[in-house]
Parts: sequence; structure tokens; C-alpha cells
Amino acid sequence: MNFDDTPEEAAYREQVRTYIADHRDQLISVGDGARREGDLTRARESQRVMYEGGYVGITWPKDVGGQGGSPMQQAIVDQELGKAGVPGHVGLIGIGMCGPTVISHGSDDQKQRYLKRLLSCEDIWCQLFSEPASGSDLAALRTRAVREGDSWRINGQKVWTTLAQYADYGILLTRTDPTLAKHKGLTMFVVDMKAPGVTVRPLRQMSGSAEFNEVFFDDVIVHDSERLGEVNDGWRVGLTTLMSERLTLGGGGGEMGISGGTAASFIASQIGSLSEDRQALVRQDFGRVWTQLLATRYTGYRLLSAISKGAMPGPEASAGKLAGTKAGRQLADLAVRVSGDGGVWFEGPWQASQAGLPGLAIAGGTDEVLRNVIGERVLGLPPEPRADKGLSFEESVKL
Amino acid sequence: MNFDLSDEQRALASAARDFFSKAASPADSRAALEDGSPLAPGLKAVADTGFHAILQEGGTVLDLSVVATEAGRVLSAPSIAGFGRVSVLDPTADLTAGVSVVDAGPALDAATATVFYALRDGQLVRGAGTVTSGPPLDPTRGLADVTLTEVTPIDGADRWEHALRVGQVLLAAEDLGTAERAVEIGVQYAKDRKAFGRAIGSYQAVKHSLVNAFVGVEQLRSLAWWAAWAADENPAELPLAAAAVKGLAATVLEQATETLIQVHGGIGFTWEHDAHLYWRRAKVDRFLLGDDVEAYDTVARLSLV
Repeated sequence: MNFDDTPEEAAYREQVRTYIADHRDQLISVGDGARREGDLTRARESQRVMYEGGYVGITWPKDVGGQGGSPMQQAIVDQELGKAGVPGHVGLIGIGMCGPTVISHGSDDQKQRYLKRLLSCEDIWCQLFSEPASGSDLAALRTRAVREGDSWRINGQKVWTTLAQYADYGILLTRTDPTLAKHKGLTMFVVDMKAPGVTVRPLRQMSGSAEFNEVFFDDVIVHDSERLGEVNDGWRVGLTTLMSERLTLGGGGGEMGISGGTAASFIASQIGSLSEDRQALVRQDFGRVWTQLLATRYTGYRLLSAISKGAMPGPEASAGKLAGTKAGRQLADLAVRVSGDGGVWFEGPWQASQAGLPGLAIAGGTDEVLRNVIGERVLGLPPEPRADKGLSFEESVKL
Repeated sequence: MNFDLSDEQRALASAARDFFSKAASPADSRAALEDGSPLAPGLKAVADTGFHAILQEGGTVLDLSVVATEAGRVLSAPSIAGFGRVSVLDPTADLTAGVSVVDAGPALDAATATVFYALRDGQLVRGAGTVTSGPPLDPTRGLADVTLTEVTPIDGADRWEHALRVGQVLLAAEDLGTAERAVEIGVQYAKDRKAFGRAIGSYQAVKHSLVNAFVGVEQLRSLAWWAAWAADENPAELPLAAAAVKGLAATVLEQATETLIQVHGGIGFTWEHDAHLYWRRAKVDRFLLGDDVEAYDTVARLSLV
């Protein structure tokens, strides 16, 4: 047991670190707003610089512009960018989810046209899966694609779409045959986000900021050559995307959950102004939360060690997300709690954290869905009976 | 990064499971509770395996913690934590004599010990003592109040803190095994037991409760490995790691054993069912080698700087 890099990993890390240091002024920083401003020039430039160094699409095959590298190398790059204060690339959704889906299911023509531009951030991508009426039950989605000759006509609505306001393309999961069971009648497309009939509206969250979007499709025409995979095989195509998502979100940096260092420093700076009784209470709460965050970090290291040996993260990776998001929320709450009278005003960084963190227990799989996944796939407990089992989609919506 | 057990440690765990699963079980804990039967496997049987002396024979705290987890699965006695703590305090101690370290309050494994250790006025002492026990909550811990009679000063006071932390790490490793086993039993019952025409484990209320306990066990495993590694390789991290794993072990074992009872419904809180024997461990261990409130306070004091 050790926490050290192998000699190969250490050499790679040194190379990455040097490259980041040499190009630091061309890379964006956490908190500088480059990803949120309407002008994304700097964010695109930042990703392009890393791409030119060979540090974007590390695990992608070489023939589509990737590096043919390992998930461990990806984790090292993520860690070094994190240490340097560089946030995730603006093309993260494309690199982590859309691109791998095109690689697995796209035509040669699609791969040629899209993949290199995606990596170099000439194009930004988004993922159009969730809908107002289908969140956890994704396969119940309603957005319709109807064939018209060589094309498809698309109508419907997507929601929770990260980066849609900037995106050039998206991968879009639609229903093509409602007479089949809900998983069987889906088809995946690449959609041009600038096409007529596509409308993107920001979705304001309880924290006040708008990090996601609603996307409306009104008679949008997509050519059949933009289909990913076979007609009515979209669920299988989508699973590729979701498995890539797990690797991107769960296994990447090895520091799952909230690192919490800033909140701890803030609490440390405030605790002295409290009465001794209160200090003891805060320490008790903080000790419990911090212990969970430490455990989450070391659970992440177990995952990273498995990746380092060539294993892919399984559903047990969700355990760290469950524990980490809960502790993160408690930590933000504690930071607000020690703010004194200011705790009733919506100001300062911890109020925004407090209002933003409930979303983490929902985004990327709700806590309840993750518990089902762990309960059924790791512990082997039987699934809950499904009322729509054996029904076609048409029949299931009448339930 | 290789934050994982080695092949040798996995083989050690497997050998320990072979031994402990045959040599002790909750039935022994029940017998001790009901009529004061001897603890199992007992000092001699454990000593015959050599597991007790892993630290004295050049093994690591991590090696011993792997054994401790297997011992915890079957509520084994005497504690592995006691062997580890004494091995650090007094590296040439005769562990087969029955050893116990006396802090404030009832001492672990003291009921059957013949050699006691204590810190008196900054001096480590070793010697004999007399013991008195109350009605046991968990008989497998061999708790007793100790009055030292004849003691001799020995070297090693400077190892006191480190030994205590190694003891906390190993006790937490035992608790990891107990919690792991409690979740396994609960999961199996949730697969077998039917209500309203289906297995109760298919209901999300039951499933999620077991998953929460399972997540706790995996979180505890991560800290247990880290803390044992720190004891061996990085003493500077040990104060934080030992306090964190001590606190989390108490929290996780309580959650796992109370979930075990709850999932079983009516049978779960009978005397006849084994669930309470695991639960008794949780309710006692949280007070041993410092309590969880103190441990979490230490985590905060070390981290809020």
C-alpha cells in the first residue's frame, strides 16, 4: 500500500505539470467567470491549449484525435489542472460523454466531421437526455422523432442541459416508436443546436444562478445521416454515454465530493468568536462532517487505485458520491451557522453553496436512484416491481 | 497510487477468516452472556495461531488490522486491539500471559488478564492487579475495573500515545468486520423474507436503509486502511487518522447493527436472535480507548487550524 505514483505515472505527471506551468497564462482559473460570460473566447482558448499539448481526449483512440492513453493519465491531468486552479474544460460534456458516444456508435463520416473539432473546442457539445416528465425514469422520455424521407422531424422538450446556451451540437435521445416498450423505441441523433426550431432558455435554480437550460424542439429537421446507432437502438447508445459519464464524474480526479478546505478555513476563522459551549458544539458537528469527507477522499483513492490497475469503476463508485454530497451539504450549513447574524442574509459564499448543494444530491442520478443501483447491483437485493413492465410506451403513459 | 491490500495481506485475511470463522461465533458471545462461559476463541487458541504476535514478529499494523477485521466478524475475544497496543508499549511482552492496559474506566480484556499496564505520574508501569466486573453489556470485551497491586516502572512512557492510537486503529478494524458482517446478515434476510408477496429487500425503504449501512462500512474501510497505513508509514498523520477512524467506527457500527435489528422486524429485537450480540459490540466499543465524542472533537481540533 502506498499513495505514490509509479515511475511512469510520476514521469507523466512531471510532464503535465511542466506543460501547465509553461502555459498557465493561457489557461482560465476557478472563479474568474470565463465559463459563465457570454464571451467564451478565453475558455475555448484554455481547452485548445491543453489539446495542443496532447492533454485533451487522453483516453480516446489516436485515429480520432485522442492520445490512446489510460484513465490513470486522465486522472493525473485532472489532478494537476485542479492543483493549478484550472476549472473543468468548457467542452467537458463533449469530451466525457458525447464524444465517446460518437466514437462507439457514429459513422466514419461523423467521426471525421466532429471529433477533432470537439477536442480542440472549435465546437462545444451538450447532452439532451432528461425531460420534464422523465428524470430518474429516463427511458420514459417523450420527445418525438418522426421519419420523413431521408430526414426526421423532431418535437419535444429537454431540460437540465448543461452548456446548451453555448453548444454547437448535442446528442439527442428521442422516441421513434411509441408502440414498443419504453426502452425499445428510442433513437439517438446528433443535432445542430443552431438549426431552425431549436430554442434554448436558461433555467434558474434556487441559488439564483442559471447553470442549466431548457431546450425546446419545434419541427426541427435532422438528416438520417446524423443518427447514432440503429433506429430504435437508442437506449443501448445512451448507456455508452452514461457509462462514460460515470468515468468522467466518478473516477476522474480521485478527490470525490467536496474537498472542503475553504469552508474549514472559514469555520476556523470564526469559531474563536463563539462562546465556549458553542465552540464545543461546532467542533462536534465539524468533526463528524470532516471525518466523512476524509473517508470520501480515501474511498476515492481506492477507486483511483483500481483505475491505476486497469479496472473500470463499477456501481460502488456511487457510494462515495452519496457520502460526499451529504457531508458537503452539512459543511456548507455549518459555515453559514458560524457566520453569526449574517446567517439570515443571502450574502457571502456559503449562502450560495448552501443553496446550490441540494442539487448535487439530484444531478447525475438522485441519491435514491444511486441507492437502488448499489442495493441491486452491489448488494444483490431484488428490484422494486415495475408497474410499466411488459407494456408499450403508449400503454405505459396511460397508467 | 496503490491504496489497496497486497496479495500477501489478502492471503493473511483469508487465513484469518478460516481460523476465526471456525473458532468463534455469536453463539459463544451468547453463552458468555447467559452463563459466563469462557470467551472464544480465547487466549490460548489465538496464541496458537501466532496472529496475536504479528507486530512482535515484524509485521505491520496494517497486517494486524486485516486480522482484526476477520476477528470482528465473529465477535472474537480477546481483542486484537489489546495485543497490538501492548506490543507497541512493551515490544518484548509475553502476550500469552493475558495482558490489559488500564486507562480511566473499565479496561479491555482485563477480566482474564494477569499482567496490567498503566501510566502513573508520567511513568509506564507493569504488574499485577485485582479486577471487579459489573453485569456485562457485551461479555466478549472482558471489561473490568482494575486495582493495580504490585507494579514495576518500565521504559516506554514515550510510546504511550502511539500505542493508544494503534489500539484505536485496531479496535476500529475489528468494528469494521462486525459492521460488515451485520450488513451481510441484514441483506440476506431482506432477500429471504417475504411480505405482501415479495422480498422485503425489494422495498426501497428497506433497501436504502441497508445501502446506507453498506456505504458506511465502505467509508469505514477506507479510513481503517488509511489509519493503519499511517501507523506504519506516516506517524505525522496518525493523530488525525486514528481519531477519525475511532469516531467513524462508533458511528458506522451503531448504524449497521441498528439497521440489522430494524430489517429483521419483530424477530430482530428478541433475545433469541443474534442481532443484539452485534449491537452490544457497538454499544460498548464506542466507549473503549476514548469515546466517539472525544474522537470527533480531536478531528475538529486538528483540522480547524
